[in-house]
Amino acid sequence: MTAVLRTEDLCKRFGGIVVSDSVNLTIDRGEILGLIGPNGAGKTSLFNLISGVLRPDSGSIYLNGEAIDAAALYRRARLGIARTWQNMLLFRTMTVLENLLIAPRSYPGESILRVAFTHRAVRTAERLARDRAMTTLARMGLEQTANDMVVDLPFGQQKLIGLARTLMNDGPVLLLDEPMAGVEGAAYETMQRVVREEAESGRAVCLVEHNVSFIRDLCSRAVFMANGKILRDGTVEELIASDALTELYFGV
Amino acid sequence: MEYLATIGVLIAIYVILSSSYNLVIGYGGLSTVAHPIFFAIGAYTAGLLAIHSSLPAPCNVLLGGVAAMIASVLLAASALRVSGDYLLIASLGFQLGLLQLIKNLDFTGGPGGLTAIPGTVTGAARTPFFLVVSGLLAVATVVGIRAIVNGPYGRAITAMRDEELAFTALGRDATSMKIVIFAIGCGIAGIAGGVYAYYFQYISPDQFEVLQSAAILTMVVLGGMGTTFGPVVGAILLLAIPQAITFLNLPPGIMAPTQGIIFTVLVLAFLFLRPAGIVGLARKTL
Repeated sequence: MTAVLRTEDLCKRFGGIVVSDSVNLTIDRGEILGLIGPNGAGKTSLFNLISGVLRPDSGSIYLNGEAIDAAALYRRARLGIARTWQNMLLFRTMTVLENLLIAPRSYPGESILRVAFTHRAVRTAERLARDRAMTTLARMGLEQTANDMVVDLPFGQQKLIGLARTLMNDGPVLLLDEPMAGVEGAAYETMQRVVREEAESGRAVCLVEHNVSFIRDLCSRAVFMANGKILRDGTVEELIASDALTELYFGV
Repeated sequence: MEYLATIGVLIAIYVILSSSYNLVIGYGGLSTVAHPIFFAIGAYTAGLLAIHSSLPAPCNVLLGGVAAMIASVLLAASALRVSGDYLLIASLGFQLGLLQLIKNLDFTGGPGGLTAIPGTVTGAARTPFFLVVSGLLAVATVVGIRAIVNGPYGRAITAMRDEELAFTALGRDATSMKIVIFAIGCGIAGIAGGVYAYYFQYISPDQFEVLQSAAILTMVVLGGMGTTFGPVVGAILLLAIPQAITFLNLPPGIMAPTQGIIFTVLVLAFLFLRPAGIVGLARKTL
């Protein structure tokens, strides 16, 4: 197995608070890696470091073996690091379909010059993006919501739209920040199925999640973090069985 | 007739100004007050070229737009690098600083302004000619901006304004997009400035002060920020109302204060009763 994403001694501190303490993490192709740990452990910060929202104090990040440390947030997304957000960050004044159409990795319709001079290429790209968006929505059973305003949808469906938007990016890495928080019922099943399908199609998936049964069902491997450090890396069963970690996390 | 046509030219120029300002502040969400200074850059560039060069007038007007665009990119590229909020302060400083410069340089005519700009078109057809040209430019501006904001590009602008972090993390370069929007809006203001200089043949720094910023902002807010036709309605109303009042034949001692009072009341009434503006009313009742 080749590591699609690798971090090397990633360090980040805000004043006295260490959010990332020499983190070495690898995610392989087709793998679903669970990131667990108590609140404030540095899980979301790690996502922010990998996706480029935050710059590390030291350390490096490699995508398919190449360092991407110099790349800005938007460039990393174009390189294929797609992520979701804990609070979704949907475009609130737009419809479901419009939300998805913002997300393909490259989009000629968003350059004024191309709109003016390569009109046909823009139209083709627009059609392809619409097809992809509708296919993605159909996978989640949400195609009938395409023209609804995102804010009018129930919470669980909004979470799915957040995932669908991210899936418009066809890159190799998928980072999911608490995909299940507040999600239940049919949306839960759908979320689980789609994440699994994405991994089976070859993406390297990493997810932060507090829902242990979700992690246990999906993840082959998990990493336990606390105070910015990776304390343990192993199978989910091993992590849950560890008394020290259980105490730290669940407080029992 | 001549008088009404002159007001028509003025309205067309202000429609161009308020529509382009609306693109920047209403659609782009970029806080700037410096729109009049790009109007000024266009006016002075075209005016000086008209006096000192033998280039044809349309070329000079276009160069005025280019000069305004270049200046706006320099301002936006440096200010937006720091943060979005910084643009407001930077734009104000830029406007005041550049106006001081214009007032103190010899070749711009100093505080007295630039006079004797060649008229190009002379005779009875002059004002109707400018009315047609500025009218066409105003229509082109409104239609052009509408085309920008309705297509995929406009969708991206909306997304950027809604949630900039998510927008950037989806692979979109928000900073370049802001600079492009700013440059287009300010470039259009520069072209309006060129037409203004050619028509009135006289420009002075006083016309581009912060008071002018307030006037254009009022047009946009009153008409409906972030709507295609809001700025058009706002510009027409704010220029037509003072003219209408003059027809009431009030004594001058009463007329001047009446105009001020009506203006202020109008702005306050809209702020309280219809904050989305006249055109914005129909669409933004959430």
